[in-house]
Amino acid sequence: MTALLAARGLSKHFGGLRALDGVDLELGAGEILGVIGPNGAGKTTLFSLMAGSLRPTAGEVLLDGEPVSGLPAHRVVRAGVVRTHQIVRPFPNLTVLENVTVAALHGKRRAQGTAKARAIEVLEFVGLADRAADLPGVLTLGGRKRVELARALATVPRVLLLDEVIAGINPAEAMALAALIRKIRDERKTAIVMIEHVMPAVMSLSDRVIVLDHGKKIAEGAPAEVVKDKQVLEAYLGVGNG
Amino acid sequence: MKPIAAVVAVLALMPIVLDLSAYSHNLLTLAFLMISGALAWNWMGGFVGQVSFGHAAMFGVGGFVAARVIIATSLPAPLAWIAGALVAGIAAIGAHPMLRLRGPYFSIATIGVGEASRFVFTYWEGFTGGASGLSLPIDADLKYQLYWWGLGLAGVVAAASLLLRRSTLGLQLLAIKADVDAAADVGVSATFYQDLIFCLSGAVVGLTGGLYASYFGYIEPSDLFGFDRSIGFVLMAVIGGVGTVLGPALGAVVFVLLRQYLVASYPQLYLGLYGLLLIVIILFEPLGLTGLGHRLWRQFRKVRR
Amino acid sequence: MARFIDLAFAAVLRAGLYATMAYGLGLIYGVLRVVNLAHGGVIMAGAYLGWILFDRFALDPYLAIPIVLCATFLLGIGMYRVLVRHLPRGAAGGPASLLLLFGVWLVLRNIAYGLFTGDDRAIRTSYSTSAVNLFGSFLEVNRLAVLGVAVLVPVGLHLLLRRTYVGKAIRAVAQNADSCTLVGIDVDRIYTLTFGIGTALAGLAGLLSATLYSVNPSFGAQELLKSFVVVVLGGLGSIFGMGIAALILAIVEVFAIYVLPSYLTTAVGFVMLVIVLIVRPGGLFGQRVLG
Repeated sequence: MTALLAARGLSKHFGGLRALDGVDLELGAGEILGVIGPNGAGKTTLFSLMAGSLRPTAGEVLLDGEPVSGLPAHRVVRAGVVRTHQIVRPFPNLTVLENVTVAALHGKRRAQGTAKARAIEVLEFVGLADRAADLPGVLTLGGRKRVELARALATVPRVLLLDEVIAGINPAEAMALAALIRKIRDERKTAIVMIEHVMPAVMSLSDRVIVLDHGKKIAEGAPAEVVKDKQVLEAYLGVGNG
Repeated sequence: MKPIAAVVAVLALMPIVLDLSAYSHNLLTLAFLMISGALAWNWMGGFVGQVSFGHAAMFGVGGFVAARVIIATSLPAPLAWIAGALVAGIAAIGAHPMLRLRGPYFSIATIGVGEASRFVFTYWEGFTGGASGLSLPIDADLKYQLYWWGLGLAGVVAAASLLLRRSTLGLQLLAIKADVDAAADVGVSATFYQDLIFCLSGAVVGLTGGLYASYFGYIEPSDLFGFDRSIGFVLMAVIGGVGTVLGPALGAVVFVLLRQYLVASYPQLYLGLYGLLLIVIILFEPLGLTGLGHRLWRQFRKVRR
Repeated sequence: MARFIDLAFAAVLRAGLYATMAYGLGLIYGVLRVVNLAHGGVIMAGAYLGWILFDRFALDPYLAIPIVLCATFLLGIGMYRVLVRHLPRGAAGGPASLLLLFGVWLVLRNIAYGLFTGDDRAIRTSYSTSAVNLFGSFLEVNRLAVLGVAVLVPVGLHLLLRRTYVGKAIRAVAQNADSCTLVGIDVDRIYTLTFGIGTALAGLAGLLSATLYSVNPSFGAQELLKSFVVVVLGGLGSIFGMGIAALILAIVEVFAIYVLPSYLTTAVGFVMLVIVLIVRPGGLFGQRVLG
C-alpha cells in the first residue's frame, strides 16, 4: 500500500546548521501520526518542508507517490496538504468567516457549493459558527486556534499538518480540540500529522508516533512503545537518567 | 453602488443644467481623470498593500501610445486611449519579476522603474518626441466632451473598486496584504494576484494617461513620466485614505484643487507641502480623509444621545 | 590596457562612496527593519551642508566632515524621535513607514530648493583637480581622498559594532529586540542612536559626493537605489559583504558607462537592482542580521 504522504531522506540545512537530516516518514490514509521531540529538534522545519514553505536541501516529499517538494506553498495546498502554524496567524483584518472563506476558495476542486457556504459549514464543524462576524483579535487563543484549524479544513485537505494545536490552552479547551481532531479524521477522512508537546494528547490521539531529535528521527512506533524507548528518554531528559 | 450612480448622474447633468465656466469644466475633467488614476493606484497600494512610487511609468506609456495613435492614424480618440491602456497593461506584466517582491523591496523597485522609464523615454525621441514632447491635433469638441468621458471612466473605476473590494478576489487581496505567507499556506498565490492587479491598475492608469493626452493636447515626458506624477498618485490615495474603497477619489479631488491653488500661490513650496501632508496624515490619521470622516461621524453619533 | 586600469581605479573609487552610502541604509534597516526612504534626502542634505560650509566659510570639505557628521546625526535623531518611533511596528508599519519617510524626503527636497535653488552645486577645492600619477594612470586627488575616508568608514563601523558596548547592544537589538528589553537594554534609545548613525553615514556620503560630482535638490533617487542594491547584494550582516557588493556595482557601472550611451547608464542602477532582487528572492529573510 503506497503511503498517502511520504518523506524520503528529507534534509534542510541552513548554512552549517542541519535543521533536518535525512528524515523518512510515511503516513497512511486515515492515520494520525504524532511527531514529538525536544525543542529545536526540527519538527516545524519538517512541516515547512512538507507544506512547501521551505525547499528541501535534499530528499523529497511524495503525495500519493507524486513529488510535491519544491512546489510553492499555494500549490501544495491545492494538491491537498495544508498546515497550521505553531503561532497562530489569522488574518487580523478579516472576520472569522472571511478568514475561512479565503481558504475555502482553494478547496474548490474537491467540494461543491460556494466558498462562503463551505466556510460556514466548516465553522459549524469546529464550533465557531456564532463568532463568524468577529475579528480574530477578540477571540481567546483557543478560539484563534480553531480559526486556524477551520481555515486549514476549508481547503479540503487530504493531509492536515497540525503544529502544536493543543499547546498553550486551558485543559477544557484542549480536550475539546482533541475530540475535534479525532472527528476530523473520522468524519472527513483526513490523515493527520500532529506536532505536539502535550503528551497525553499525542498519546491518546496518535496511531503512531515518530520522535525527532537534532534533526534526525530517533524512534518510531506505537505511542506506548516510543515513550519507553531509551533514546527518546535521553533526548528529553538528558543522558544518564538510569 | 447606487450612490455612485447618483453622483455620476448629477455630475453628468451639471454642465448642461448649470452654466459652468470653462475653467470649472476643465478642472472637473482633470479631477475625473485623477480620480480614476488614484483609485487604480489604490488597488495595488491599498488593497494588496504594495506601495508603488512608479505609476507614472504606465501613465506615460498610455499617454504617449494614445497620442502616437491619434497622430499617426485616423482612429477615433477612444480607440487610441484603449490602445494606450493595453500597452500599459502589457508593460505592467513585464514588471512581473518585480512583483514577487514584497513591501519595501517592491516600493524601491518601483522608484527604479519610474526613474528608469523617465530617462529612457525622454531620450527615445521616436516615441515621445524627446524633451520637447508631442503635440496632438487640436480638437476643441473632444476637449469639451472629455468631461463626460472622464466622468464615465471615473464612474466605472469607482464601481469596479467597490465590486473588487466586496468580491472573493478582494478578500484574497486583503489576505495577501495582511500576511503573505499565511495566505500562501491556505492556497493563495500572491504572485498571480499581484500580477493581475498590477496589470489592471497599470491598464487603467494608462487609459487615464490617454485621456490626459487628449485633454492637454500637448504632452512631454518630464510631465507624464515625472517623479511628481508618481508622487501625485501616492498622495491622492493617502489624502483620501489608502486602502479604503473610494477614499482615493476624494483624495484626488482635494489634490487637484490643492495643486491649482498651490501652483498659483506657492509654486516653490508644493513638494514640501506634499511631504508635510504625507507625514501628518500617516502619523495622525493613516486613513486620511475617510478615516477623519469616520471619526467625526462617531463623535457626532455620541453627541446626539 | 591603460584604459582598463583607469576604469578599474575609477570603479574602486566609486565603490568606496557607494559603500559608505549603503552602510547608512543597511544599518537602519538591519536594526529597525525600516527602509529609510529619506536616505537620498539625507545624502543631499549632507552634500549641501558641506557645500555651504565651503562656499560661505571656505571650510575644506575634509575638515567639515565632523560638522556634517554631527549635523546629520542630529537630523537622524530628530527624525526618529519626532516621526519614526510613532509608526506601528510589524506588517502594518510597512507601507506607513515608506510613506512617512518619503514625505520627509519631499520636505528635505523642498528646503533644498528654497535655500539653494535648483542649480547644481559642487565643492571644488584648489586641489580638486590635481592628480597623482599611479601606475601610469592619473588619479585625481579628490577621488583618492574620498576613497581614504570611505575605507575608514567600514573599519570604524566594525570597531563600533564589535568592540563597544553600544555596538553590541545595537547588534543584540537587531537580532531580537524583545529579549533586549528583558536584559535591560533601552531599545528605543538604541533605535534612536542607530537611526542617527545611519543618517550620519548618509550625510558623510553626501559630503563626499559633492566633492566628486555635483548636487541639486533632485539628487537622491539614484543614490537610494544604489545603496539598496549594495545592501541587498552584500547581505545585511556583513560589512565586508557590502563592501564587495559596492565594488561589484561600481565595476558594472564603470564599464557600462564606457560601453553604453549616456542615457542608459542611469538605468544601470535600476537593472542591477532588479537582477539582484530576483536572484535573491524574498530579500533579506534568510540572511544574517548584524552580528
